[in-house]
Amino acid sequence: MIAIKLAFKNIIGAGYRTFLNIAVLSFAFVVIIWHNGVIDGWNMQARRDTINWEIGQGQIWHPNYDPLDFLSFQDAHGVLTAPLSDGVKSGKLTPILLTTASAFPQGRMQGVVLKGIDPDQTILKIPSDLLKTTDYDLPVLIGKRMASNLKVQEGDNILIRWRDKNGTFDATEATITGIFDCNVPTIDNGQFWLPLDRLRTMLDMPDEATFLISREATPPADIAPWVFKDLDFLLADLDMIIQSKKGGGAIMYGLLFIIALLAIFDTQVLSIFRRQKEIGTYIALGLTRWQVVGIFTVEGTVYSILAILLGAVYGIPLLWYTAKVGWAMPAGTDNMGLAIADKIYPVYGTGLIIFTILLVVIAATIVSFLPARKIAKLSPTDALKGKIQ
Amino acid sequence: MKSIIILFLSTFFLLGSNPPNADEILKKVEQNLSSDNRVFESEMVIHGKRSSRTIVSRSYSVGDKESFTEYLSPAREAGTKMLKLENQLWIYSPSTDRTIQISGHMLRQSVMGSDLSYEDMMEDRKLTDIYSAKLVGEETLDERKTYVIELTAKVEDVAYHTQKLWVDSERFVPLKEEMYAKSGQLLKRTTLSNVQKIEGRWFPMTLVYKDMLKQGDGTEFRMTSVKFNQNIPEYLFTKAALKQ
Amino acid sequence: MIQFLFKGIIRDKNRSVLPILVISLGVFLTVLGSAWFKGVFSDMINTNANFTAGHVRVMTRAYAENVDQTPNDLALVEVDQLINDLDNQFPDFEWVKRTHFGGLLDVPNEEGETRAQGMAIGQGIDFFSPGTHEPERMNIPSSIVEGKLPGQPGEALISDDFAKRFKVNIGDPITLFGSTMYGGMAFTNFTVCGTVRFGMRALDRGAILIDISDAQIALDMADAAGEVLGFQKSGNYDEERALQVKDAFNAQYAADSDEFAPVMQRLNDQAFLGYYLDLAKYMSSIVIFIFVLAMSIVLWNTGLLGGLRRYNEFGMRLAMGEEKRHIYGSLITESIIIGTIGSVVGTIFGLAAGYYLQQHGIDMGSAMQGGGMMLPTVFKARIGPEAFYIGFIPGLISMVLGNALAGIAIYRRQTAVLTKELSV
Repeated sequence: MIAIKLAFKNIIGAGYRTFLNIAVLSFAFVVIIWHNGVIDGWNMQARRDTINWEIGQGQIWHPNYDPLDFLSFQDAHGVLTAPLSDGVKSGKLTPILLTTASAFPQGRMQGVVLKGIDPDQTILKIPSDLLKTTDYDLPVLIGKRMASNLKVQEGDNILIRWRDKNGTFDATEATITGIFDCNVPTIDNGQFWLPLDRLRTMLDMPDEATFLISREATPPADIAPWVFKDLDFLLADLDMIIQSKKGGGAIMYGLLFIIALLAIFDTQVLSIFRRQKEIGTYIALGLTRWQVVGIFTVEGTVYSILAILLGAVYGIPLLWYTAKVGWAMPAGTDNMGLAIADKIYPVYGTGLIIFTILLVVIAATIVSFLPARKIAKLSPTDALKGKIQ
Repeated sequence: MKSIIILFLSTFFLLGSNPPNADEILKKVEQNLSSDNRVFESEMVIHGKRSSRTIVSRSYSVGDKESFTEYLSPAREAGTKMLKLENQLWIYSPSTDRTIQISGHMLRQSVMGSDLSYEDMMEDRKLTDIYSAKLVGEETLDERKTYVIELTAKVEDVAYHTQKLWVDSERFVPLKEEMYAKSGQLLKRTTLSNVQKIEGRWFPMTLVYKDMLKQGDGTEFRMTSVKFNQNIPEYLFTKAALKQ
Repeated sequence: MIQFLFKGIIRDKNRSVLPILVISLGVFLTVLGSAWFKGVFSDMINTNANFTAGHVRVMTRAYAENVDQTPNDLALVEVDQLINDLDNQFPDFEWVKRTHFGGLLDVPNEEGETRAQGMAIGQGIDFFSPGTHEPERMNIPSSIVEGKLPGQPGEALISDDFAKRFKVNIGDPITLFGSTMYGGMAFTNFTVCGTVRFGMRALDRGAILIDISDAQIALDMADAAGEVLGFQKSGNYDEERALQVKDAFNAQYAADSDEFAPVMQRLNDQAFLGYYLDLAKYMSSIVIFIFVLAMSIVLWNTGLLGGLRRYNEFGMRLAMGEEKRHIYGSLITESIIIGTIGSVVGTIFGLAAGYYLQQHGIDMGSAMQGGGMMLPTVFKARIGPEAFYIGFIPGLISMVLGNALAGIAIYRRQTAVLTKELSV
């Protein structure tokens, strides 16, 4: 107890140098939390966007469906089984039907995927209600990337050609009734969203679907032969990229942290040198040498506590502000087919903050202990004379 | 390509005149065209974006279900063989000594960059089997009088829901064919020309096949040799023959 | 006098060893940190350059219009001449051919008939040229699961998942069935020489990597290639230079209205990348500033320490009659010397470590995955020009400033009380 009291007094007494050390350490502290927060925020954002826009809480696939093999789409559809259509009725599932087709913007042919979605669905954020319009024969919804790729705008017509379940060609002008802006390229690039019933008629596949999107993480029972794909499966690629980004950042704040610890170490060396007489006095007063080591070590710990407090003073408003306004990010991995938001809102988890606090305190204590060990070898008389070298 | 030709030939050849209705026209075409076997040599001109290619091939076919095509030029394609038995298709390439089966979804891909898919080439049913026909009028086309016949699918698994044919009213050779989507959208147009008399039959020696939704000049067939009733060994229509 | 101070510094280890050590360490961290920041920020840019866009990329105009579909029928022709011209005109760039294609990978049975087949995404890159950087650029050697890089014509790498799914082993034949540049059928046999993990599901399902010369033969692309990429030989993306090159190149074809005329784009022209580059520049300067600031505070402390440690010595010198100004001056000069030595040492070590990390990087992927993959998980430092001087800001300025502040105490000391102070 005496050690902590003394430590506080000593440190505060040291004035502005203390402040400098604390500033550096608090800085490292805030940066670590911020950086991890950005990565976690990014992760959560990307996951959330993918969940909200594309996958829901999971998907139930037709056994033949393979999203990576567009040739499989032709066989990947079926009438909903009873448990599935019950799920749809209760609003827990929404069916999606898809097929490959060709679009002909300005006489060029481009392969596209037609996806039928229930205009009344509420599981995905895709603004499917824009498909409810009755002004046009075939309303379609596309993403902003697709729109710029095709060089079309809202209200434009585009000719599409598809084949129904028998392989019979059909073609018609579709009208773009909405262009949505979302960060998930996989529901945007090369995709046309149509009213589900319309697509079912077009393909002559009444009551059929290719996959269903689940509102809940647990699928209805007895869905076989359909297959449930959970979030771990659907988000695997995304998780991997985020993990790798986290690694790169760890080195950065590791270096910053070392600098901060160097500051404490340096200060400890200085203070032990300057306060030899004080050390001698402590020992002369009957404290054991290890108790004195303790006093100095605790001083280092106190630095870290003050640093955390200081970090909190400017860090909390700063981090709060960044979490509120977000950090503008370019859609850099856009072309990798992953959801990256324009803006990332850092998320500061309790676990992250507690871990960082412990890291700072423990590391600061260790670097304070290292120079303080010297005291243990000291003879009180030398110390009183000020002869530490 | 050969199958396409067969399709047209078997459909449109007609001896006689003054057809009372469209069904009869088509029926007569088929009756008159049923030749047990055929050997064709043709050039296919594919107009690409930056150049055109000419592919020369020789096709043998017996009945409607079996056909064998060998590519003769250009050098790169020479020796490539294609065997069609019922609804199966194999392609053999001499450079790799491999026989590759084209199945399922791959059949819908374009053949050699042309406006035709493998599936288009595989169609071997008679028009009268899959369409009901109606005479809708008469038109003059390239100074030839033609009957205009509308075909509407009567079975489900057809590529084109409706077709329109312009049949020469004297020679009973189709001069134009249009394929429509269910919605009525025009999808493809074939124009047939250079009609010549071969072994007593009028025969269109040039066909231009055009995807109407795409830019481009389409794909052109030119028959260089047409022979009927040849001796084609049965052995040709086996996978083993591909490798020879 | 400087000579005298040098002797002092060398002989009095208290004056030299610890401060130099601390400064060196601090400068080392600053230099390494700034190089690392720069590396991490340019990571995304490099990935994009290496895998897709190059530092600059030449395509036909028609190809550039539909670049997302990698339309091989719109490929560049007469590429050898083009590359020759580019080499002459812009020798500071390495020019490489690349071709993307799609096709069917067909696995034969013993009779040479189809046993299994699957769709594949393919790429032809330069594996064979002596000294080619392409495999490393694409991170292929470290993503090989089994086997080796293609070493001779007819060898191909395929995705490991594909190989496992269809039970294809190293040394097995596989046929690529695709379409030539002109739309004809393309059949080519390859021998599987290795399998690769890409880390991207679409590629892992089916992909084939072959040498560009094999791709040219297979796809009937003699003297043609989908794209020609240019990489600055320095290894770093210099956007100013890239712009010059792009403008100079495109000016030559300005009058040409052919849609197959070549057109050059630089990395920034990737829609999102321009913005990212700006952000990266902005962010890395902020981050480097933070580093320098933090380090300055630390070294200021060291400077103070140095000054305070020698309280007694200065007292003695004052007592002996040395002028305060002179003592102060010598203190500052000493700190400059120490700061310089520390900064030089620290910068050298920082550059060395930075260089090592620039060349080798730290692989974050193996820690997560248990195996390499193509999507780069190796983070690398990057030494920019500022790495050579940035360390001197905290190393020298902070050290001198710290000493200068500590030295103010010299002026405060009264000669009258010196004897008393020194008597202890």
